[in-house]
Amino acid sequence: MTTLDELMRLPGAMAAFEFRGSGELLEQRIAYPDRINESTLDLLAHMCSANMSIATMQARGWEKVTAMTGFYPIKEFTLIGFDWSVVVSGLNREQYKQAGKFSLPPFVGVVLANEKADYEAAFAILEKQEQVQ
Amino acid sequence: MSMIRRLLALDGVNVICHFRDDGYLIEGYGLMSHNDMGRLAQFAHDYRRMIQGNADQLAMFTGMRGWTPPRGWVIRGVEQSVCGVANLVCVVDNADAPLNEILMELQEVSHW
Repeated sequence: MTTLDELMRLPGAMAAFEFRGSGELLEQRIAYPDRINESTLDLLAHMCSANMSIATMQARGWEKVTAMTGFYPIKEFTLIGFDWSVVVSGLNREQYKQAGKFSLPPFVGVVLANEKADYEAAFAILEKQEQVQ
Repeated sequence: MSMIRRLLALDGVNVICHFRDDGYLIEGYGLMSHNDMGRLAQFAHDYRRMIQGNADQLAMFTGMRGWTPPRGWVIRGVEQSVCGVANLVCVVDNADAPLNEILMELQEVSHW
């Protein structure tokens, strides 16, 4: 089963998606097309990609100014909206970067209904170690 | 006892701060210097505003309801995470933290 299919089995999963570092949507699964569509996921992906970059800047800056550690690299970014949440991960990309690869896998994310959202379960799926190829 | 202090009783929560609407630290507890808590409060305030802007624009461009106003955010680093809800921010250790419970507590405490 692919990661997207696994994410779709989470309670309250509305959609799961993959996107490039530059934000373009690559692949998606949608549970409720009347509520969320491909075009919305594309904009959401761009927003998440920007936030992953900003969070990386913040983590690097924070570690430099405070001498604290453990923030960089960023594994996931989560926005908890009023009814929906989005969780995205770039962890697999980090593994590829650390292995010296130039071609990186996509970011992976899931949209959840807050009512049933289990963030820990989402992180557990997104943090499964993938073998670097 | 301060209401926010009870969050420190949850596994993995290392720091909890409460800040004013302008980002000024009101109170903070945990394993961090007062200066860094001030920085954390200002950061969380700025980040909250940025997230609000992002969610507003997403809602405007897509017409999809249910994103605004946002309830919170989580930035999960390699070992530590930062979670923000309303005017509260906390730093948690990924290894021990029951994040679902922490987010629920933050929501509850933010209403006090």
